[in-house]
Amino acid sequence: MIPFDLFYYRPDTVDEALQAYGDLVRQHRHPAFYAGGTEILTRSRVQDVHIDAVIDLKAIPSLRIHRDDGQTLQLGAALRLTEVADLNLWPLLTATADRIADYTARRQITLGGNLLSVLPYREAVLPFLLMDSAKVELATQHGLQTRRFADVWDTALNLNPGEFLVSLRVDSQEARNLTFRSHKMTRLDWIDYPLVTIALAQPASGRVRAAFSGWNSYPFHSSTVDQILSDVSRSPQARAADAVSNMPMPAVSDIHGSAEYRQFVTQYTLSDMLTELEES
Amino acid sequence: MSVIGTSVTRKEAPNKVTGRARYTDDVNVPGTWHAVMVPSQQAHARIMAINTESAQNVAGVKAVLTGCDVAILTGDVIEDRPPLAHEKVRYWGEPVALVVAHDEASARRAAGLIEVRYQPLKVVNSIQEALAANAPLIHERISEYQVATPPAYPKRASNLADEANVVKGDVDMVWEQSAIRVQVRVKLPQVDHAAMEPRVAKAEILADGRVLIHSNTQAPYEVQKLLAKYFHLDPGQIIVQVPLIGGAFGGKATVHLEILAYLASKAVGGHAVKIANTREADLASSPVGMGLEADIGLAATKDGRLMAAKMRYFMDIGAYADSAPRIARAIAAQCTGPYKIEHLHADVYCVYTNHTYTTAFRGFGHMPMTFAIERAMDELARTLHIDPLELRERNALAPGDTTPTQARLTRSNLGDLPLAIDHMRTLIHWNGPTPRVVDDRHIRATGVAAFWKTSSSPPNAISGAIVTMNGDGSVNLSIGAVEFGAASKTTAAQILAEQLRIPLERVFIREEVNTHVDPEHWKTVASLSTYMVGRAVLDAANDLIRQLKDLAATVLRCSADDLDYGNEKLFVRDDPSIQLKFSDLALGYKYQEGDSIGGQLMGRGHFMIRHLNLLDQETGQGRPGPAWTVGVQAVEVEYDRMTHQYQILTAASVIDAGRVINPAAAVGQVMGGMNMGLGVASREVIHYDAQGQFLSNQFRTYRLMRVGEQPQEYRVEFVETPQVDSPFGARPLGEHGVLAIGAALANALSSAAEVPLNTLPLTPEAIWQARRRRLHYDTV
Amino acid sequence: MRSLTGPQAMTLTINGDARQVVVYPGETLLYTLRGDALGLTGAKPGCENGDCGACTVLIEQMPVKSCMVLTVEVEGSDITTVEGLQHAPIQQAFIDHGAFQCGYCTSGFLMVGHALSQQPDHDQGRLVEWLRSNICRCTSYQEITDAVRAVCSEIES
Repeated sequence: MIPFDLFYYRPDTVDEALQAYGDLVRQHRHPAFYAGGTEILTRSRVQDVHIDAVIDLKAIPSLRIHRDDGQTLQLGAALRLTEVADLNLWPLLTATADRIADYTARRQITLGGNLLSVLPYREAVLPFLLMDSAKVELATQHGLQTRRFADVWDTALNLNPGEFLVSLRVDSQEARNLTFRSHKMTRLDWIDYPLVTIALAQPASGRVRAAFSGWNSYPFHSSTVDQILSDVSRSPQARAADAVSNMPMPAVSDIHGSAEYRQFVTQYTLSDMLTELEES
Repeated sequence: MSVIGTSVTRKEAPNKVTGRARYTDDVNVPGTWHAVMVPSQQAHARIMAINTESAQNVAGVKAVLTGCDVAILTGDVIEDRPPLAHEKVRYWGEPVALVVAHDEASARRAAGLIEVRYQPLKVVNSIQEALAANAPLIHERISEYQVATPPAYPKRASNLADEANVVKGDVDMVWEQSAIRVQVRVKLPQVDHAAMEPRVAKAEILADGRVLIHSNTQAPYEVQKLLAKYFHLDPGQIIVQVPLIGGAFGGKATVHLEILAYLASKAVGGHAVKIANTREADLASSPVGMGLEADIGLAATKDGRLMAAKMRYFMDIGAYADSAPRIARAIAAQCTGPYKIEHLHADVYCVYTNHTYTTAFRGFGHMPMTFAIERAMDELARTLHIDPLELRERNALAPGDTTPTQARLTRSNLGDLPLAIDHMRTLIHWNGPTPRVVDDRHIRATGVAAFWKTSSSPPNAISGAIVTMNGDGSVNLSIGAVEFGAASKTTAAQILAEQLRIPLERVFIREEVNTHVDPEHWKTVASLSTYMVGRAVLDAANDLIRQLKDLAATVLRCSADDLDYGNEKLFVRDDPSIQLKFSDLALGYKYQEGDSIGGQLMGRGHFMIRHLNLLDQETGQGRPGPAWTVGVQAVEVEYDRMTHQYQILTAASVIDAGRVINPAAAVGQVMGGMNMGLGVASREVIHYDAQGQFLSNQFRTYRLMRVGEQPQEYRVEFVETPQVDSPFGARPLGEHGVLAIGAALANALSSAAEVPLNTLPLTPEAIWQARRRRLHYDTV
Repeated sequence: MRSLTGPQAMTLTINGDARQVVVYPGETLLYTLRGDALGLTGAKPGCENGDCGACTVLIEQMPVKSCMVLTVEVEGSDITTVEGLQHAPIQQAFIDHGAFQCGYCTSGFLMVGHALSQQPDHDQGRLVEWLRSNICRCTSYQEITDAVRAVCSEIES
């Protein structure tokens, strides 16, 4: 229950959604775009955020789009994680997204919701960090805009107030022609936040790329780490060890695990994943 | 036709699979108002000011209460806890104010607007910090506190709420003379009961002065007594009603929300008010299970005979004592585990910290205590190269021995641990503790551990039962034990059906308890319902049979001694054709001429625990419970030597059940208990940060086991050594699945990882850290 | 565009019946179901945080944690609660396998198990994946998985 007198808007078009946001701000309300709702509901209940108006984007067709025309793979931001997995248009994303939360929760959580979560983990980001061709389609006050994922991302997807995510795009060929591994490591439980989630991808001809979640307060990709991992003249163990000592920021210590243990887990997981990747 | 020893379906099962089972928060008086507590955002701080003005101005708010409005101290044993923090806060999450409003949303909004100005004090964040010289005092006025239920010995100018000691034999001399000594130090964090139903209480004060309380308490009669005491009411004015409870595990035995609900109702002229814990409040504000640190020293002969023990237990009881002094005595009284140790010195300390206060947790201290002694036993076995099951069997207490508190043991009150151990060998195909190699990374190892437990109940605990007859000869049973999943109602009905020789379907038992009409049962704790309620039920059944016979004797013109009964009939023993149906007598007997005698037949029964004592302050001498339940448990793990991850393959229990009354329910209790014990041992922990903030206040941060993480296989067996003073010989069984299973897991993993694992929870990181520390130690 | 402010009269389809209710936009489905008007208290609040699954109901035959959805979102959807199970095999299976003790998590597990049994594919992996959305504190989980597996294989054969 949201303990505030909530305004609920469910626009049918992007323009209506943008309009609604502007109107609500002018009325001095605190609006939020809403899709799966899990984060807004949980945070509102404990009064961690003050949201008194939600704009439910799920009825807008362009946020529910899912297609692969052979050139571009496009996924709407309001697709549920279970829909992303069932459609399985992009197996790397399926593998990563299918380990978020639990099954019933994934029936609520949307792709866009996970990408824009305030939590550090946002594992669905990882596949996009690995694709040069990744793009986001944003609804802005200046209309729909398509931008490179990398240009919008630093430690989070940086959207301006009043903007929302419409869809994500990657090059079909790039997404398809790669071998990949995605692995989530937790303290102990299957359902838990990650100590580290690692996504590895390797194009048919090209370097290994790696992206990490849980290691620090935001998901990241590092070309230094990629370079280390791609040096096939060295053993997977040696590369994994080197990668762990060359991460762009230190591992966090928290209730899920200490920094040293995160390093240990990341190292053997990376090593195992490299071995598997190169054997396949 | 015996219903004892038969797997029967619990009485309320159909309601539980249709959503028709009613719990406390499922039925509300229309128009009930809501109370919401404001939790402290500091673990230890002086309250400088509380600004409630903006909260008062929220539409729908009817009252705001703070500690200044409530000048009482509460507590089960030591009265040290203000219902709302007064002058200072002692743990993060402690209720500092209470908002009452028409609806929950307004109350929550208003609660969020209350500003509390704190002056932070140094936080006592561990047992060590609490015991340090010059430690900040959590209770400055400890020496002024009333001990409501002796014994308890709060120590002035300290953070020690209490201390319990056991002294037996001449430990110093024997210790020095013994050939082998082992020392083990264990450390267990606070954990939470995590019943799926959060705590909730409702209060309404009627115009005639009656106080109606609805709550999911395990102790309705305690709620009645304590509210009467704290608020100067007649006990009869207070009516406590408890429907089905959604899990309890000891956590619902504390009188806590009921006090707040009463205060809230009183503040708004007696209107019906409800206070329902959020999960966050249920974890951080309501009591949790204690943490424990213990030093166990065992001395033995070279052939593995235990000679002496020196033990010190430090309980992290959190900010208030609640039932900790009782738990300390339970630990002291059973501190040796089910083993004969004639020379013994044990000290158990209740240590106040700025953590959430604690209360009973399934096993009443025996789970952490058992972990300590059973880790020490395994270390002793390893040191002596003796098979760990063999070591336990060799030292098992036997009839004629005495307990640490010098209570005499008999076959009836002790049971047969060696027999249980023998069954365990077969059940798990025991091959000793040496790990078996699976492949280059994986090995399998089995750990074992034994337990014993008694009730540690007060010497004057009582129970009662009332049986009334329906016109068709069926019966209604009224008891004071609540139903939280242990099938205590069904068991009582089984006992009554057996004694009256009628089918179980002919016994009707109410799901709820109402203190106004149901006879008092001490508390539904300590797995004592079968014993205490069962005895009262037998007494009531016999009373009813006597009345049936007396009436039948009059009608049949014979002596009551000539009569026997069965098939809902009374008949003359030597000529069964002379008979009367129960239904002919149930509401009085009507002669053919129409005149009638008798009236509704109703049996009444009661029971009082006997021969127990409060334990002596110096030596602990005394009898802590009517009988013990003994058992042995085992866990097989597959362990990955590279990652330190592990899977639990098998969890097994052999318990001396005395007599199994409902086999399916008994197996379910033990399996569920093992799962809980394994969850506690493997993953459960309450984290506090450096400022004492409670970090584990959701199921995202307080992790419970889920489907797929349980052992691949459970094995449960019972041996049956009757407890002769218990109904049909049955021993308590409800808590026992949890008791030693965590120790068995630690013993298995210690073998597999080749490092002593004495700290919970046993996460792969904990194993990794322990191995790293040992490596460091070995190389230094 | 649908825009809702303040209390709303709406029709919900619950257990096959059209039910008129007045809801506030900030209400979760769990809150509405349990409220005085509907009184469907089979769905339980265990955490109201999407973690425990005690409030699970079916929306269009699929499990949803009713604490994690606003009632206004499911207007027009087909909602099934535990009260709507009419002699579903899963109910007797839970009794036969001793799949509950206190019963508080039971409605949620029943709904997940029932939905799963209606799926074309319910292999062991899927069974575990669905059931681990919920928490039980009393049983060992074996009883619950046995009960659900029994119903699934019965339907298969």
